[in-house]
Amino acid sequence: MGDTSRYPELRRRLSPGWWTANRHYAMYMVREWTSLFVAVYSLIFIYGLSLWATGSRANFLNFLKNPAIVGFGLVALVFTMYHAVTWFYLLGAISPIKIGRSKTKPWQALVLNLILLVIVSYLAIWLLVLR
Amino acid sequence: MKVETHKVARLHAILWGIFSLGGMIAAFLLPVLIYMTAIAYPFNLWPFNGTKDPSFLITGHRLGALFIFVTIAGSLFHGIFRFQSALTEVGLLKYRRALEAIGYFIIFVGIIVLAYYLATWYLNGTIS
Amino acid sequence: MSQNIATIRVTRYRPEKDSKPYFQEYKVPYRQDMVVLDALNYIKAEIDGSLTYRWSCRMGVCGSCGANIDGEPKLTCASFLHDFKGRTITVEPMANFPIIKDLVVDMEDFMEKLVKIKPWIIREKETPPEQGEYKQSAQELERYSQFSSCINCMLCYAACPIYGLNEKFLGPAATALAYRYIEDSRDQGKDVRFPIVHEMEGVWECTLVGECSVVCPKGVDPMLAIQKAKILGATNAIKSLLMPRGGR
Repeated sequence: MGDTSRYPELRRRLSPGWWTANRHYAMYMVREWTSLFVAVYSLIFIYGLSLWATGSRANFLNFLKNPAIVGFGLVALVFTMYHAVTWFYLLGAISPIKIGRSKTKPWQALVLNLILLVIVSYLAIWLLVLR
Repeated sequence: MKVETHKVARLHAILWGIFSLGGMIAAFLLPVLIYMTAIAYPFNLWPFNGTKDPSFLITGHRLGALFIFVTIAGSLFHGIFRFQSALTEVGLLKYRRALEAIGYFIIFVGIIVLAYYLATWYLNGTIS
Repeated sequence: MSQNIATIRVTRYRPEKDSKPYFQEYKVPYRQDMVVLDALNYIKAEIDGSLTYRWSCRMGVCGSCGANIDGEPKLTCASFLHDFKGRTITVEPMANFPIIKDLVVDMEDFMEKLVKIKPWIIREKETPPEQGEYKQSAQELERYSQFSSCINCMLCYAACPIYGLNEKFLGPAATALAYRYIEDSRDQGKDVRFPIVHEMEGVWECTLVGECSVVCPKGVDPMLAIQKAKILGATNAIKSLLMPRGGR
């Protein structure tokens, strides 16, 4: 079976555009590229802190109000939420919990973790700002 | 018979563990941070619709420094790790070593700088 | 009239004659209960005897008849014609494998990986048969039985873009099978299997595309096996960091 000396096999490899072939692959690529926004937002935030370090607190706060930064932040939030939603779904897919005879489904983990996200977010705001 | 040697990629396993932790952080903590800094504060929405500003950074809220560090460091690690991997999937597989080097360098510098600023704030009550 | 005819577009490639593959169309009488394999068999028997493809059991247990049907990796014996839109169906060889001829792909790479992970029970010391069987509880069986359903059809490799980009990747089926033995309480071969599963080209290449589990005809869920193996690998690595001489 392995002797290909007499006839050439046709080797096929994926092109860089492989992910456009179907919807599943395309959604996967979008999911992975949310990481770009997460990383860039983090770097921009660190840059903002540096304005404070080399200037004053007002520099940092003005930076936060800069329209370009706000715009990017909004886009980053959309992609971060997409990351969160897909992450929660994956958590459900990789840890099915047996309850009696049936197993938990990924969408149930998604709902549970979204509720958890709301709780954690409120806790964060309460602990950091309202208290 | 071909004898192959297989070596457990221990370092990568640990880095993957950190990446996973970063994913949890980016999913649970990053949304509220972005909400506070890009929506609530610039548009004077709750909880910044009164006199407060992202003051968890300066009024002695050491918890704020910790929160920022965990959220930004975790998100940075996760984002860079995953993006570098995503780049190898769109045709840049042969540059993987270079991408990894650049990625970890950015992570390293970013986290050191972040830790320095936040440690300064934690100890002095202000970053500058 | 056209209600009773289906058009099958099949990849043809004869290495001694063709420099690249091309599609050939055949018109096949259509019945409600036909599967793609029936159509291929009809073509070979009645229209074109040179069409070459693998098949055997025609009931989804042997794993021989994998192909990319309308772009998706499927078993030809398990793909009903009526499930596809319209009456034209495209049948290509399984993606990510080299083509030998027509729909027949070179499986050598997968075969090597299958052997590499040592798909058998490894014992430090075999006990003689007189001492009885290695007993296993229902709960112990539950931990791996899903992953033992694999029929080696390789649809998961055809669906996995990581394998398509990097042939060195161990891949879904091989990893799931290795994990099946790692989780088997009768097996004592962790030392042998871990380095294969946890080297760089093992689980770490996987980025959770998840298509492998979507296309698996047997519900093996190789994505789950790979993820559990990753978690095992990460916890082992952290343990070995914290307790260099300690236990596993």
